[in-house]
Amino acid sequence: MAASVVTWAGLAAIGRACGHIRSRLLGSSSTLSQVSCLHTSTELNSKHWERKNLIVYPPQQKDEPCRSAEIYHCRRQIKYSKDKMWYLAKLIKGMTIDQALTQLEFNDKKGAKIIKEVLLEAQDMAVRNHNVEYKSNLYIAESFSAKGKYLKRIRYHGRGMFGIMDKVHCHYFVKLVEGVPPKVEQKTGFDQAKEYVEQLRNRTIIHSL
Amino acid sequence: MATSICRTLKYLQPTTCQNIKCAVSLLDVRLPQPVLVPIRTKKRYFIPPAVNVKQKTQSEQEDKARAAGVVVRQQYIERAINIACTAGIFDPYVPPEGDARLSTLSKEGLKQRTEQLRQSAASQLAYRKIKDHDPEFSTKGFPALAQQIFIDAHAALTQFNKEKLHSLVTERCYPEMVRGNRYKTLRWRFIESLEPPRVVHARCPDMISKGNLYGQVTLRMHSKQTLAIYDRFGRLMLGDEDEPRDVLEYLVLERHLVNPYGRWRLHGKIVPAWAPPKDPIIKTLIIPGPKLKPGEDFEDLNYQVPKPKAVQWSK
Repeated sequence: MAASVVTWAGLAAIGRACGHIRSRLLGSSSTLSQVSCLHTSTELNSKHWERKNLIVYPPQQKDEPCRSAEIYHCRRQIKYSKDKMWYLAKLIKGMTIDQALTQLEFNDKKGAKIIKEVLLEAQDMAVRNHNVEYKSNLYIAESFSAKGKYLKRIRYHGRGMFGIMDKVHCHYFVKLVEGVPPKVEQKTGFDQAKEYVEQLRNRTIIHSL
Repeated sequence: MATSICRTLKYLQPTTCQNIKCAVSLLDVRLPQPVLVPIRTKKRYFIPPAVNVKQKTQSEQEDKARAAGVVVRQQYIERAINIACTAGIFDPYVPPEGDARLSTLSKEGLKQRTEQLRQSAASQLAYRKIKDHDPEFSTKGFPALAQQIFIDAHAALTQFNKEKLHSLVTERCYPEMVRGNRYKTLRWRFIESLEPPRVVHARCPDMISKGNLYGQVTLRMHSKQTLAIYDRFGRLMLGDEDEPRDVLEYLVLERHLVNPYGRWRLHGKIVPAWAPPKDPIIKTLIIPGPKLKPGEDFEDLNYQVPKPKAVQWSK
């Protein structure tokens, strides 16, 4: 009888505890992967993408590890939807440049041809202007799409009704980095479950006997 | 968002005046003064003869206007351009082969000395002309000044101080020094001079009009310098900061003699035909090769990489 009595306060406490555990799980997983803990929004990055190619670093000493070259390139106002472009951008993120070019060449989407042109331009720029030694030694560190300026037109409906049609445009941004792409650890469900159970076991109960 | 279309069209259309519209776009005629010609949409009972005339070429319309008595004043497109330097090196100095390699006492050295004396006849005239315009010029004192200009110019290039660089280097030399270096870091040091610099050659060409004299003086300089070029990311592209090299250079300095505010500025360098080849850059480059047909193999072609001809050029 006493075990079956669950007060509202108790339920609320359990709910809070679950949320706490979930947030702790999320916190631990994000510290393991490098990029996802930093929330970099596309809006903040996209305005100054071209300017990122103009920063000059001071000369390195001989004992320092060699800084890899980073090349930023973008194309603005592409006549394509940003949501459809996102699929292609997510496809090539993290691949080597040769792999990305082959994938895009045999992809049937309209955006694939455009992204391929952008990648080839960026590769050419890297070799000519940014002192990259081997043009295949590049990988795609960041690739994303953003909303461009839309044109508005009228879409005529029946009965004298109308809608405003957006002629969608998007921007596409890519960052190439010299070197071998970093290996992303593939986490299985079993590993995640194991971690969860370990966390549950590591809890300490304070003020206990 | 589906509302009645009439209301939105009314909203979207700009306010149009029914009777008078601005019709500059309808006319092809470009009259000298901007004319706002009002066009009537009301029916006219008397139509003047000039209205129905359309699709006339520019020249026919000009002739008609001239016949009618409309005078179009001639348009002067004038813009003053100041040319402060010549476009190149006139009659460049040909450095004797084996300069700074053979001692002057051998037979080869004596031959070169006699050749040098022969060349210097025209140079003596040039010195005379320069001294007419610039009394402070002397073949003894000029080399030290010129070397200082050279050192200052390159120091300004490392710091990329545009104003100072423009005052020390002519407009023809500036792009050649600066091209491609904007996003690179240069580290250059002048260590010492191995031989005292001396004036070897001078010419006084004139540009465009006869009296517009420029003086070009060639200076031979043998010195020790270090150069290191780092790219945008701080990686070494060329050279070494700690390794000094012996450099034999033929600098050309120029001054606009007729201009009282003219100054001696670095105009270019002469690279002799026998100069040793420069060191390659640290990264590997691809030299574009011949296009292969489908069945061919590159190894079978025995392709020789074309070497550049040994010609004297100036930079």
